Amino acid sequence: MATLTDVIDRPTSQSGLWSWITTVDHKRIGVLYGVTAFIFLLLGGIEAGIIRLQLSVPDSTLVSADTFNQMFTMHGTTMIFLVIMPLSASFFNFVIPLAIGARDVAFPRLNAFSYWVFLFGGLLLNASFLTNQAPDAGWFSYANLTEKPFSANQGLDYWALGLQVLGVSSLAAAFNFIVTIVNMRAPGMSLMRMPLFVWMTLVTSILLVLAFPVITVGLIELTFDRNFGTNFFVPEGGGDPILWQHLFWVFGHPEVYILILPAMGIVSEVLPTFSRKPLFGYPVVVFSGVVIGIMGWAVWSHHMFTVGLGPVAVTVFMITTMLIAVPTGVKIFNWIGTLWGGQVDLKTAMLFALGFVALFIVGGLSGVSHAVAPSDNQQQDTYYIVAHIHYVLFGGALFGIFAGVYYWFPKLTGKLFHEGLGKLHFWLYFIGMNVTFFPMHYLGLNGMPRRIYTYASEFGWDGLNMLASLGYLVLFVGTLIFIVNVLISLRKEPDAGHDPWDAPGLEWSIASPPPSYNFAKIPEVEGLDHYWIVKRRAAAEGRPVTEPEAYVDPSTIHMPDPSYWPLVTAIGVLILAGGMLFDTGWDYIRFPIPFIGGIICFIGIIAWANEPPAKEHAGGDHHAEGGHGMEHHPATATAAVMERPAGAGAGAVTVRLLCSNCGNQLSSSFRFCPYCGGAVESPAEPDHQEG
Amino acid sequence: MGLLPFRGADSHPPSVRPRRRDKKGKTTLMSKRFTITRKHLFLLGISAILLLLMACAPDAKQSTFGTSGPVAEQQLLLFNVLLWVMIIVFILVEGVLLYAIIKFRRRPGQDELPPQTHGHTALEITWTIVPTILILGLGIWSAITLFDLDQPPAGADALEITVVGHQWWWEFEYPDADGNGKYITTANELKVPVDRAVRVNLRSDDVIHSFWIPKLAGKIDMVPTRENYMWFQADETGTFYGQCAEFCGTAHAQMKFLVQVLPQEDYLAWVESFGEAPTLSAQAQQGQTVFNSTGGCVVCHTATGSDSQEIVASRVQSFMTTETGIAPGPNLTDLATRERVGAGLVELNRQNLRQWLRNPEDIKPGNYMSGRAAIYQTADGRANLSETEISLLLEYLLSLK
Amino acid sequence: MAHHTEISHHAPEEEHPTTTGINNRKLLMWVFLSSDCLFFGSLIATYMVYRGQSLVGPYPVDIIDVPITTISTFVLLCSSFAMVRALAATNEDRQGAIIFWLLTTAVLGAIFIGFQVYEFNLFKTEGLRIDTNLFGTTFFTLTGFHGAHVTLGIVWLLGLAWVAKRGRLGPKTALDVELAGLYWHFVDIVWIVIFTLLYLIGGFDTGPAGDPSLVPHSITGFLGLI
Ligand code: HEA
Ligand code: HEA
Ligand code: HEC
Ligand code: CUA
Ligand SMILES: [Cu+2]
Repeated sequence: MATLTDVIDRPTSQSGLWSWITTVDHKRIGVLYGVTAFIFLLLGGIEAGIIRLQLSVPDSTLVSADTFNQMFTMHGTTMIFLVIMPLSASFFNFVIPLAIGARDVAFPRLNAFSYWVFLFGGLLLNASFLTNQAPDAGWFSYANLTEKPFSANQGLDYWALGLQVLGVSSLAAAFNFIVTIVNMRAPGMSLMRMPLFVWMTLVTSILLVLAFPVITVGLIELTFDRNFGTNFFVPEGGGDPILWQHLFWVFGHPEVYILILPAMGIVSEVLPTFSRKPLFGYPVVVFSGVVIGIMGWAVWSHHMFTVGLGPVAVTVFMITTMLIAVPTGVKIFNWIGTLWGGQVDLKTAMLFALGFVALFIVGGLSGVSHAVAPSDNQQQDTYYIVAHIHYVLFGGALFGIFAGVYYWFPKLTGKLFHEGLGKLHFWLYFIGMNVTFFPMHYLGLNGMPRRIYTYASEFGWDGLNMLASLGYLVLFVGTLIFIVNVLISLRKEPDAGHDPWDAPGLEWSIASPPPSYNFAKIPEVEGLDHYWIVKRRAAAEGRPVTEPEAYVDPSTIHMPDPSYWPLVTAIGVLILAGGMLFDTGWDYIRFPIPFIGGIICFIGIIAWANEPPAKEHAGGDHHAEGGHGMEHHPATATAAVMERPAGAGAGAVTVRLLCSNCGNQLSSSFRFCPYCGGAVESPAEPDHQEG
Repeated sequence: MGLLPFRGADSHPPSVRPRRRDKKGKTTLMSKRFTITRKHLFLLGISAILLLLMACAPDAKQSTFGTSGPVAEQQLLLFNVLLWVMIIVFILVEGVLLYAIIKFRRRPGQDELPPQTHGHTALEITWTIVPTILILGLGIWSAITLFDLDQPPAGADALEITVVGHQWWWEFEYPDADGNGKYITTANELKVPVDRAVRVNLRSDDVIHSFWIPKLAGKIDMVPTRENYMWFQADETGTFYGQCAEFCGTAHAQMKFLVQVLPQEDYLAWVESFGEAPTLSAQAQQGQTVFNSTGGCVVCHTATGSDSQEIVASRVQSFMTTETGIAPGPNLTDLATRERVGAGLVELNRQNLRQWLRNPEDIKPGNYMSGRAAIYQTADGRANLSETEISLLLEYLLSLK
Repeated sequence: MAHHTEISHHAPEEEHPTTTGINNRKLLMWVFLSSDCLFFGSLIATYMVYRGQSLVGPYPVDIIDVPITTISTFVLLCSSFAMVRALAATNEDRQGAIIFWLLTTAVLGAIFIGFQVYEFNLFKTEGLRIDTNLFGTTFFTLTGFHGAHVTLGIVWLLGLAWVAKRGRLGPKTALDVELAGLYWHFVDIVWIVIFTLLYLIGGFDTGPAGDPSLVPHSITGFLGLI
């Protein structure tokens, strides 16, 4: 097989379509993820629009029951698996290597593979529309409604296969980011110096690694039931549909933290930056994130309070669920503590971050009211739950992600967003989302069940439904404004500079947009909020940092080369899964197409394994990848790099010190206070002046 | 009861506590552009709460606020207390958040850094412990309520019924309707006596449904593999509205039912008359013949007393195993005593019933009557029945009481 | 810090500096295996939940042959031993031994698969298919996925043997063998669990004791209170 890689030349394009298709650069993959997921957001938003239009008046006949059922199923599935998760992945990709001072992720080609598989999974799922067989059993598709006797068309096969493909993508990405974060940090970046977003990515990835296999097994069992006559969830064969619920929610609840933790990470970056103050209680915020991740495993049955688990089990899950409010509350309080005494600068990114906090509290509090099982018996499967979902997912996850978009866009493009339009976007979203979703609390408590395609006027739900639908229009306009803003901002001349927000993260010390190799010289991290430390020391020494790290000739730095094979392998995965939809009905070769897919996959993997990560490495080195991305540049590259201030890093003393300015205790060895830039009272170094 | 925001008009929203003066003696939150005084905050809070109260409509037919009976009331009590906790936490936390945003706005010319605090251990411990205590308190109380509501109170002479979920209608079985062992099956309209606990056994013959009468009790799922149960008790007579709460396919939105809470005597009278041969006019007798003709309505429906277990089982069997087989259909014995037709959907009157018989699809898209019955397998989905046959059937159905 | 020497192009992976000192690919393998644990865990949980819930036979007691599977289990255990030897040989750069032990591992794995194919066919003739009853459903799914893992491992080992034949395996590239070994041992350990649960413990299960048409709270068996 190695011959294959000899025959086909390594792709080399650096620009144009082909360069995007073969790219292994984490920044470009981040962009691919982001753009694709945004398009899916529009799609999911249009589906929401059809839902809202249908429900705006009673007895509406705009769409049929079956179409409506497809709409909310695809809306929920799209928003969760094709929007929020990949948008988070987009940030993982773009930000993580920059934030930990690495040249790329640990496995750049695996990363490209993750993206392509995600794209194909999304397409496979949506291809169901083309055959008019979109899945229609809700985003958690409770068995046994999903079994053949009740769902005869192939909708749920599309759903189950699509989600399995997406699972492959998420798992591959999670593996990659765990290794990247654990292993590729710049020297000096100990765990407790990792930015919060990096921490939350790590926790999220671990949750993914452990949660996805569970749903995969559920989906496999469902696929088998539907296609091979097994009885996993078929009562007539002795199976128990409740097993599906357990498998789904053992995945499903950690999943909601998979959705929110990245947003919490983003917000924990944005709030300190725009308060000009370090994150309040950093260790506690980290710890509470980890605790949320762990506790998230002990609460899944709160989605099943009405299933008849018996009061003992319900009590256990009720209490564990309610207790999650504690670590989450700790985060909220520490965020407010970050603002307290700071200088709050209401840039758009900050507005979205603050919006996140404000709205997530609402969603969290209604969450606690679901957690109380007796009262949940009245709320479950009503619009009260729909309100909760959207406060935590739209007000929470999506607001957090938009905060990230506004925060890192200048880094990605070198251009600032139009602030006025950004603020308009924020306010339209903030108002629109409250108008849309707040009335749903009442609708639910007034007895409106979810997933109904029509309702009679006699129940008194008309007015609030109309209000909610009007709110949707506001959101619609808000989304358009955002699109306009992106288009306008992209056309501008670069105006952001490398550090427009005076931010603390490593990524702001390099040019915007970052060069392909990220860091010419891998930085030595001196503490939490490294770049603040650097800048404030420099300011104290009277030479503020105004330039990013100097540009070097990229050819002097080893970077992994582009590759076809991730794409080829991903195509194999698509054919393997999608081919399952074509059942010949013959005895032995019921599924011929998946075999072809399997073979393509196999070829892709072999070629991938035989291809050296970078061209220069050819010969002898047949390793897949690993480590090459972060390999240290040859000495020539360093020469051009900005000089480091003397005394930083290795040479510094290690005594406990007090800052003479702010009085902070400094746990490591600094000549200048990392918190305020003031001189350090140090008997060892008495000759330094105040900054 | 003053605690409960949704019961009675005399409940007073708590006033927002006066804010303590801060060190510099200012009582206002400063900002360049506008000033928020305590009065503003107070008015804001009051109007927010009033808004909250207004939007809740205990009179709405499925409102969880207009409760009757101990189960729904206790659930509402719990919710109301939670709601107050939530409102208080909300006002406190969002208030502090808003305060921080306004008070600590960056002002032009502020170039020096703010004090770089990075934590406060005592504070952090406090805001971990306080919510924990609050939550454990709520949790324990909730658990007690939970166990309380699990079974009807000991000694209550509960009426036992079994509810079976079907796509998309309800079957009600009374193993012992009158205390003398009378067995009744009926459908879509549950008749129960007032002031008496009703213990409900929940089953399903196809997929998962959920049994929910918002004003009487929270929902419990009906799972094909389980014997779930719940109980409720209505404290007043009247009509209550119920709804399937678990998504169960095409017509889930229209899987509704009514609960008629009757005075004890009326209930017993209904039980007694149930299954007695109705007095049929000549036309109605002709209708009966149509009803009972081979391949007619009687394959799926019984109109003369309770369905036997065997016949129900065989219908279910046929429904589950064949794509075109018959379906179990609602028992029609006391049809004329019902208020609605089509599983709680539309008023039971001649006109609606006629429409139902012409094409049930018009009233309830996806239903398994026109989906499975041979007479409805026509190109336009309309019944293979002449208008006269329909009129005769109507005559018959409307005399079933 | 910051005294990273320049790294030659042909330096083995292990010397690439990583934050923890653990090689990236090795860490990847560990993370993957932890994920796979949950995968098999869920399949095993499904099996355990449905133990004794089959409505019709054949039941395990009718069909499971513990002695034969003990032999195949032993074969698989031996393959793990061969795998250890293969890694040792790689570290010691004994080229012939590398190929020999890699192939031995693969062949022993193939024998195991052979046993499984035989067993599956036997069960089929005895009337147990994947759609016969819950036992068939859970048994074939669980052991089938395990078999697929083993098969993948065999392909991997053969690939390595091919690489070894071209003289490309040695102490510097021992990690390639080590990773395959990690995977192989993992799959082996999973089999031990499966063997214990499905054969030694569950192999004597009979049909449901009570009324087969009612399986209330059947799930309680495994999930405790739930
Ligand atoms: C981002 C996703 C996300 C997040 C973060 C959460 C967070 C929480 N969720 Fe939510 N949830 C969903 C997404 C999410 N949820 C979705 C999608 C569903 C529906 C699935 C479906 O059926 O389709 C759902 C459904 C759901 C249910 C099932 C309802 C039902 O179907 O009957 C429950 C029940 O307990 C619940 C509870 C909670 C709780 C207790 C939290 C907690 O983590 C919240 C904690 C936060 C706070 C409490 C606020 C801040 C804290 C303070 C200010 C401290 C002080 C507070 C107190 C002392 C109370 N959620
Ligand atoms: C992150 C997750 C997320 C997000 C962002 C949203 C966003 C929205 N959701 Fe959704 N929702 C869910 C997750 C989410 N939802 C889930 C999980 C469910 C449960 C599903 C289930 O029951 O199975 C659900 C269910 C759900 C329901 C209940 C359906 C039912 O039970 O019957 C409703 C009803 O109103 C609703 C509405 C909306 C609305 C109005 C938005 C709006 O905020 C949407 C805003 C987006 C836009 C406004 C985009 C506008 C589009 C354009 C501007 C395109 C322009 C066109 C081109 C350029 C080509 N959602
Ligand atoms: C294939 C089986 C089948 C046949 C045949 C059938 N029905 Fe039905 N019928 C049903 C089902 C199922 C329902 C419940 C539909 C729903 O609500 O989803 C129903 C509902 C009804 C209802 C409404 C009951 C209520 O309480 O709301 C009436 C009245 C009725 N049928 C009358 C008839 C008459 C008259 C005939 C003969 C002309 C007939 N049915 C033939 C299956 C059948
Ligand atoms: Cu039955 Cu929904
Ligand atoms: Cu949950």
